[in-house]
Amino acid sequence: MFMNNSQFRRSPVMVIAKKEVRDSLRNRWVLFISLIFLVLSLSVTFAGSAIKGELSLPEISALMSSLSTISVFIIPLVAMLISHDAFVGEDEAGTLLLLLSYPLTRRQILLGKLLGHSVIMIFTTCFAFGFTCMLLLLLADTYDGFSTLVHFMQFIFSSIMLAVIFILLGYVVSLKATEKAKAVASILLLWFLFVLIYDLLLLTLLVADLSFINQGVFKVLIVLNPTDIYRAMNLIGIEGGSGSLSVFSDSGWGFSGLCGAMLTWISILVAACYVIFNKRPL
Amino acid sequence: MNNELVVIGRHIRHEFGDFVVLDDVSFSLYQGQTMALLGHNGAGKSTLIKILLGLILPSSGEIDILGKTQLAKDARADLRIGYLPENVSFYDKLTGEEILTYFAELKGIGPRKVNQLIEEFGLGYAKDRRLNTYSKGMAQRLGFAQAILSEPELLLLDEPTVGLDPAASQFLYAKIDELKRQGTAVIVCTHELSLIENNLDSALILAKGRSLAAGDMAALRQQSELKVKITSPMLEQAIQGSARLQQISQGNALYVDSMDKPELLEYLTSQCGVFDLSIFEPGLAEIYHHYNNQASGICSQLK
Repeated sequence: MFMNNSQFRRSPVMVIAKKEVRDSLRNRWVLFISLIFLVLSLSVTFAGSAIKGELSLPEISALMSSLSTISVFIIPLVAMLISHDAFVGEDEAGTLLLLLSYPLTRRQILLGKLLGHSVIMIFTTCFAFGFTCMLLLLLADTYDGFSTLVHFMQFIFSSIMLAVIFILLGYVVSLKATEKAKAVASILLLWFLFVLIYDLLLLTLLVADLSFINQGVFKVLIVLNPTDIYRAMNLIGIEGGSGSLSVFSDSGWGFSGLCGAMLTWISILVAACYVIFNKRPL
Repeated sequence: MNNELVVIGRHIRHEFGDFVVLDDVSFSLYQGQTMALLGHNGAGKSTLIKILLGLILPSSGEIDILGKTQLAKDARADLRIGYLPENVSFYDKLTGEEILTYFAELKGIGPRKVNQLIEEFGLGYAKDRRLNTYSKGMAQRLGFAQAILSEPELLLLDEPTVGLDPAASQFLYAKIDELKRQGTAVIVCTHELSLIENNLDSALILAKGRSLAAGDMAALRQQSELKVKITSPMLEQAIQGSARLQQISQGNALYVDSMDKPELLEYLTSQCGVFDLSIFEPGLAEIYHHYNNQASGICSQLK
């Protein structure tokens, strides 16, 4: 009476990822994030100069600097907002226990969710910033097309890496939390620490000009915070990076070095999530 | 049918640190039978279910499911176990069909079975509606359909009828009955004793992790030594000649040991001429409360 199921066996990772994407489409997360990113990138690109009392398009390097400065606040928050209840939410609903009773491994559940949430961030980032880039190339003839494309591709790539890191940080919170409300409080705290406090401390050290804080120390301090790696990736080699920004534009890591640092963060966080998931009491 | 052992648990013990959650619990369940898993909150029922699902391993003791000793987690793919957790709330932005398809795909089951179950559970008209528009009864039917996707040989139901109206509860128990006839062994964890009473073959009563009683209703009655109540409007008059019966009577009722019942009935009907009799065997609720009171150190007044 029992059917042979092998013909219907799909990768559980893909099945879970598909469900996460569908869930986010239904509760309008995808639409909401796309609009936020689009409004942000269009306003920074086309209306950013208004603050100086004029309406002109900025230099591509200045544009990347402005875009990354704003995105570094928004992307981590959005990424953690979509991932913070991935586990604690399912636990509260009773579906996590049910999923674990299925012939699935915890690794598959974790990777399925990560793939689904990453797809959402990849889609929204590519859509919003890609659209801005396209518009810029169509409307403005002052930009070098190839250089603009490369800058935007680098920017989108680094944004996706940053988003994946913060999705994983959201998972860490979600796996540690006993209830959803506590997870929300924890992601806000994490966002505050990574995006605001850490940079404030870095800036203080920079300004204080302490003797033991040299370029080498800053090089290490930058890779200890993914938002600073992101800034450095987008400000690298930008001429005119002055003042506090010069610490990022001239971090000494190089683009591939910074990519390596991002990938290291991702690997460590995936491993951490896996360990915490395995230890999470049922 | 009914002769193949599906689950056998031997001296299961489980500890969380110093806290003993289950202590020396043994039971068995055959094909096509329903076992009620009873106990107060914190009695160890959920832990036992998690052990049965292979989510946690017992600290000691053994459990065989479908002929396999102990659940190696990765071997569970071969075992056809269905599970409906207590108070599960599925993804409320997805439709009923999408939810069932999701769980079916995770088990490698095709769309034909999904459609068949949707129709069988009377959800065809609502399959394209989001779950947040479902009533509690409809959502529970969907959850039940999810549990039997793989045509399980062992079905674990945790409070399947809590919060349901009588018709919805009756529907689920009719389904359980149908599955039993097909040979599925069912374990129902519930506090709704009156509902399960007519649908069980055996019960396992837990308190503070210990097994207080296990067996079919007849065995539970016998073990509990609860009295059978016999009433008749003619009783007071009929037993006037028997000082012994007068001692165990209370008004129009007699309370007797289960073993003495046939002899007494024979006596009452043939020698006392009583023809209007009602017999009340101790119900599941009485048996359950009896054991729990005993476990709490309170002597049962039902005896």
